[in-house]
Amino acid sequence: MKLVGIAGSIAEQSYNRMLLKFIAAHFSDQVDVEILDINDIPMFNQDNDISQGDALQYIARKIEGADGVILATPEHNHTVPAALKSLIEWLSYSIHPLDGKPVWIVGASYYTQGSSRAQLHLRQILESPGVGAISLPGNEVLLGNVKEAFDADGNLKDEGTINFIHSTLNKFLKFVKLINHVDQEDDDAWKNEDLEANHPVDTSVTNVDKNAKDWVEQAAVKTNAVDGKAYVKLDRGLLTVDQLNWFLKTMPIELTYVDDNNQFIYYNKTMEGKKMLASRTPDQVGDKMTDVHPPRAIPNVKRVIHQLRTGQKDLVAMPVPGNNATKHVMHYYKAMHDEDGSYRGVNEWVLDLWPIVSSYLKMTGKMLVDDPNNQVDANAGASQAGAAASADTDASAGASESAEETETVDVDANSGASES
Amino acid sequence: MKKFIAIVGSNSKNSTNRNLLKYMQKHFKSEADIQLAEIKDLPIFKKSPEKTVPEYAIELANDIEAADGVIIGTPEYDHSIPAALSSALAWLSYGQHPFVDKPVMITGASYGSLGSSRAQSQLRQILDSPEIKARIMPSSEFLLGHSLEAFDDDGNLKDDDTIKQLEGLFEDFLKFVAISEQLGGATAANMEEARNFNWEDNK
Repeated sequence: MKLVGIAGSIAEQSYNRMLLKFIAAHFSDQVDVEILDINDIPMFNQDNDISQGDALQYIARKIEGADGVILATPEHNHTVPAALKSLIEWLSYSIHPLDGKPVWIVGASYYTQGSSRAQLHLRQILESPGVGAISLPGNEVLLGNVKEAFDADGNLKDEGTINFIHSTLNKFLKFVKLINHVDQEDDDAWKNEDLEANHPVDTSVTNVDKNAKDWVEQAAVKTNAVDGKAYVKLDRGLLTVDQLNWFLKTMPIELTYVDDNNQFIYYNKTMEGKKMLASRTPDQVGDKMTDVHPPRAIPNVKRVIHQLRTGQKDLVAMPVPGNNATKHVMHYYKAMHDEDGSYRGVNEWVLDLWPIVSSYLKMTGKMLVDDPNNQVDANAGASQAGAAASADTDASAGASESAEETETVDVDANSGASES
Repeated sequence: MKKFIAIVGSNSKNSTNRNLLKYMQKHFKSEADIQLAEIKDLPIFKKSPEKTVPEYAIELANDIEAADGVIIGTPEYDHSIPAALSSALAWLSYGQHPFVDKPVMITGASYGSLGSSRAQSQLRQILDSPEIKARIMPSSEFLLGHSLEAFDDDGNLKDDDTIKQLEGLFEDFLKFVAISEQLGGATAANMEEARNFNWEDNK
């Protein structure tokens, strides 16, 4: 579960930010909390709408991609700080990322009230029609006398307080699941992901048949593409196209570029297709996603790309079928973004983890043994991506009787992933 | 003649709350001297170790200090007062306390039918906080709904009943200011409390 945390104070010394940091660190095994900074957001003014600017788009994208939001508010003059209110006004004017989003309000203050009045104001604000956030009812976390609450390492001192925050967090996580489940329409949004590549973007080369075997050559002519000894300026460096090719072809991973129109436009042709971990052939470049995946894989591909495009996930990792004790091939899908934070496609890389693990074992004289307490669902990557893995894989099945014999460790990580 | 500062609670160029305050300035000119005050150029409130306050906020605080009362015209954004007004009130209670025991009348205009009712009730709580401690006129609410259609081309309120209600409230406010002048008993103590109050350390 992924949450974003926003501290309502822009003061340099903020106990509310400390409280968020504590929650993020202390419960990191349970939930992934990313803390956002709102210091650079200017005062809301309807005459000068900057909703489409970098700063607000960044925050909006983070909120949209998260399952829920934690707002930590101090109290000033019986209400929330102007900086927090200003942010919420921006997020309720021409963009509405908080709409339908589960929100957990917490607050720290220097004296006994613990921001109680500010929290009540905040609840009213969040439920206004333009904001539309859904705050967890009751369960007020009011951290009073905050100056004495933390130790030097930023940890809360009082065990009872930690337990209370933990139990409220658990309720919030259930609340998040419930609220996000209610929004069925959004659950199906991934189905609209267009794998036919019918929505050209500013970098798309149009009027070239995507299926053409020489798509690269045709598209290169259309765009007057440079090659060979021509120099390309990069962030950060200067290479000729030849140098760029030598460089990419010697990467110890198979790289694939799929642009934001779901068109396959590059791979670092390291060897011929059938020798690759994930086969690619020169004539496939230019193809739309539907032409390089079997029909049964299409729903998964749609889900993964949708998650990356919307920011629900930044990276999707999944093992492929056929892995065994001497091979553990992984596919990684990483969202790419431009300088404005807009989604620009998928960086896919494929590699076999086993040689890395194996050389580590050799160098250190260590060996793999089974963890008797192992609770890892070896299918996690695949099942998150929506694959049909439902079996409760017992990763220790093959090795439970002889934990010292590394050969017999047979992690079954393959049952679910249908991609390839 | 009484002198009032009328704070425009919006930082937008087109504000019907500003229009309403301008109308009051004109309509009540024989009874009071109403001076409009803008907050749109104030930066977002931020504490600093030196407790620096923008020059304009100090001038505005001095004007409020010197006035007999304050009128605040607030729009409603997301069920509450705009961040710009909230920020201005924070500057006007940061190391300076011009509102302590100052009579305040609240007006509000909104495009919809509710006329900023929720923002006004939050504003009352805010004005009641220890560092502001204004003397808010009780049991009085002026909510101007559908404010875009409320004025004629000359900036006058069109509806007679609305005008009568506003006149009645303003008459009450003048009396409230007069009574308030006789209620100085706790002012020194309130001022002391405001000065000593700190949201960061209540000891």
